[in-house]
Amino acid sequence: MNKQAFLDRLRDGLSGLPREDVEERLTFYSEMIDDRMEDGLSEEEAVAEIGSVDAIAAQLIEETPPDEDKSRPKRRLRAWEVVLLVLGSPLWLSVLAAAFAAVLTAFLTVWVVILSLWVVELALIGGFLIGAAAGVLFLMHGGVRKLVLFGAGLVLAGLAVFLFFGCRAATKGGCALTKRITRYIKSWFAERRMQHEAGN
Amino acid sequence: MDIQLKRGLLDVCVLAAIKSEDSYGYQIIKDMKPYLELSESTLYTILKRLETAGMLTVHSAEHGGRLRKYYHITDAGLRRIEDFKRDWKEIESIYRFVTKEDHSHE
Repeated sequence: MNKQAFLDRLRDGLSGLPREDVEERLTFYSEMIDDRMEDGLSEEEAVAEIGSVDAIAAQLIEETPPDEDKSRPKRRLRAWEVVLLVLGSPLWLSVLAAAFAAVLTAFLTVWVVILSLWVVELALIGGFLIGAAAGVLFLMHGGVRKLVLFGAGLVLAGLAVFLFFGCRAATKGGCALTKRITRYIKSWFAERRMQHEAGN
Repeated sequence: MDIQLKRGLLDVCVLAAIKSEDSYGYQIIKDMKPYLELSESTLYTILKRLETAGMLTVHSAEHGGRLRKYYHITDAGLRRIEDFKRDWKEIESIYRFVTKEDHSHE
């Protein structure tokens, strides 16, 4: 077995422990294998000398002191707990809904601001187009008002160019923020699931 | 051997292995090999326990393009070794007492 396979199997074996504890143990064994290889052993020999992965995982889990072992064993809900959950549902359901709404509102607030920036950008472009049309009419028929309108259109075009960069930056920022929040929520759920599986 | 006694002995052994200078996992195992076989998992548990107890500190240092963890003994760790030496004297006298009883019955 090579080092990576050893570490992968050890990770599987330790899946009942909290993530940071698993990483710490893997680092320790990775260093042990590296040091043996530096001592002249081949990768396979080094791994073989460390011993059986299953025995190591069993010993590590067994010797993890209870205060460090943060993963609580999963158990079935007792009857009175189910009753409490149901009776308390008007309370915790609404709290949950409020939390969900708060997150959703934060999302919407950010995206509405970004959307409104783009709407202003569109309006500026529209203004420029009207100004340009006025410019064409001025060339055909003359008239000071059309010239003023054309000038205003040029000013709007300048503003539109400026705002475009702002819009683009805001959209990028919004995307990054959304991604981060989504990833955070996902990882939160993934952790729950991992703990759940570990408990079974 | 009694598990509590063995645990205490191993703690002192590991502290003794890092007493003169900071050392790392594999070096500790190699240093102890002539005296007793120590598995990695056992060593890991001992190091963790000693760190929690404040008897050693851990720091990472670059070695050959990777990080290696070095263990440094603290004053509390040094005191633990001294306590052990003192305790051992007591254990020796207890041992003499216990074996004397055996001899007198022979």
